[in-house]
Amino acid sequence: MSGVLALPREAAGAVAAARRAIGGGYREDAWGYAPQFARDVEPLLDLLYDHWWRVSADGVDHVPARGGVLIAANHAGVLPWDASMIATAIRRRHGAARHPRFLVLDWAFELPWASVAIRRFGGVPASQHDALRLLREGHVVMVFPEGEKGTGKAWSERYHLERFGRGGFIELALRAGVPIVPTAVVGSEEIYPMIARAPSALARLVGAPYLPITPTFPLLGPFGAIPLPSRWRITFAPAVDLRPHGPEAADDRALVLDLSERIRETIQEQLEATLVQRRGAFL
Amino acid sequence: MPGRRILITGVSNFWGSRLAARLAEDPGVDRVIGLDTRPPGRLLRARITFIEADLRTPELGAHLRAAAVDTLVHNDISQFPEPGRAARDLHDINVVGTLRLLAAAAALPGLRTVVVRSAAAIYGSEPSAPSFITEDQARRFPLRTRFQRDVGELERLVEGFARRAPAVTCTVLRLQPVVGPTLDTPITRMLRVPVVPTVLGFDPRIQLLDEDDSIAALRCAVVHPVDGPVNVAASEPISLSRALKRTRRRSVPIAHPIYGQVAGALVRAGGLPPLSEDILRYLRYGRTVDTTRMSEELGFTPLRTTLAALERAAGIAPGVPG
Repeated sequence: MSGVLALPREAAGAVAAARRAIGGGYREDAWGYAPQFARDVEPLLDLLYDHWWRVSADGVDHVPARGGVLIAANHAGVLPWDASMIATAIRRRHGAARHPRFLVLDWAFELPWASVAIRRFGGVPASQHDALRLLREGHVVMVFPEGEKGTGKAWSERYHLERFGRGGFIELALRAGVPIVPTAVVGSEEIYPMIARAPSALARLVGAPYLPITPTFPLLGPFGAIPLPSRWRITFAPAVDLRPHGPEAADDRALVLDLSERIRETIQEQLEATLVQRRGAFL
Repeated sequence: MPGRRILITGVSNFWGSRLAARLAEDPGVDRVIGLDTRPPGRLLRARITFIEADLRTPELGAHLRAAAVDTLVHNDISQFPEPGRAARDLHDINVVGTLRLLAAAAALPGLRTVVVRSAAAIYGSEPSAPSFITEDQARRFPLRTRFQRDVGELERLVEGFARRAPAVTCTVLRLQPVVGPTLDTPITRMLRVPVVPTVLGFDPRIQLLDEDDSIAALRCAVVHPVDGPVNVAASEPISLSRALKRTRRRSVPIAHPIYGQVAGALVRAGGLPPLSEDILRYLRYGRTVDTTRMSEELGFTPLRTTLAALERAAGIAPGVPG
């Protein structure tokens, strides 16, 4: 119960930092990542990490302490809460200097406020060229190879990985000569249980690829964006070293698709193993 | 070896006059010939050969042949209306002007170099654009604004010319918005208004180019031309909110659906310069380009960062970093 008693103090810190965060004018790097913003939202993320989702993370040591690395994870939800929790797990192990960058679906950058916060937190619009540049600069880069299909999964399909597109993330790792850490996030796919999709004409109206209908959205309006408090478990699998294949292998379609499938299987197996162990989604 | 003979179109505009003055001093340059409908300043006129002509006149070919140039700097491309150049004429000047100029240039036997002052505005301002747009992305997104379409069209003309004239090196410089203390455009005027309207909920990344650096880049391309488009921009893009903070401007956020109307009212009231669709989209989504080609192939490095260019344009001495 100590967790509950600690809440008010931490919440006050989170609110103070959030007010600063809205002000803007941060010092940013060339990508728009603002280290001070990331520090300001730390208390809020710690709150979510420890008390809301009660995250446990295994195998964070598989993320190397330096050098470019690609983290491939399953993805859920419209807002990148999963990215923020993976980032928090890595920060707690390796410190703020190892703040991961993450590739975000195009249309997220059309959203007011969210787009600004995502960019200041290290998000960049998904692009091969930019991702390669980030990896060569030595960053931890998170990708969600399910892409848009992953975010729009129905409740009954949760933790069932979608196809990994064209394997672009494998090409990326091969070209940059960096390892891939397959990562399974359990809990994130229960935070916005989607009952149905709104008609696509409605989604087009607001510029989103789909609009979810959840028990709280659109019923509770903006409060429907508050994620449910499921219990999370993040598992980082051992890094897969692709360097023996060499950068030229990025043009070998068959190999790329094969490697992509292997990473997908690794994540899927880990998801199932974690799901079997857990007692219930919200306990 | 005889020196170079260089023709500059739009010689009386900001870039034309400064570039002509710089090149006229260059010992490797035999003659600078300027072409414009408006006469250049008296001082410059004494140092160059001035031809008062429109790019679209039938005599253009004769003028070019008589000048016998080896280098052509196409600088008569306007994003904003100027005195004597109404908004409705800009498309004609930009596109038909380029078409006529290149048709005449095709008949010049001694031509070796073409440098075009194009604009990074060709990429538009897109929410999903890469953080560093490379030169090959020019047509990834639809060309939405009038100026974007003009630039797209005239760059296609240059591409076609370059294909048909393999002996000519055609450099297309795509300049990010140029700012500086002497340049007067709606963008630089925007930097001097006391309160800047921003789009509520958006904080775009912006990247600019100092006016001196823009002239230096053009000169660099004349001296050391490379084939194809090259992005030209200052290093270190920054967010609009930080730019406003550092130039001590106040901002008032306006919701996007009513932004156009509010900005329009402010323009009519005289509080704001006229805002083109390009500027409106830029203020919402920004634009930042990759400059690898500029530094590695063109061999050009701007002296001022985006922030330094901004502070200079806004008339603020560079302050302590913070």
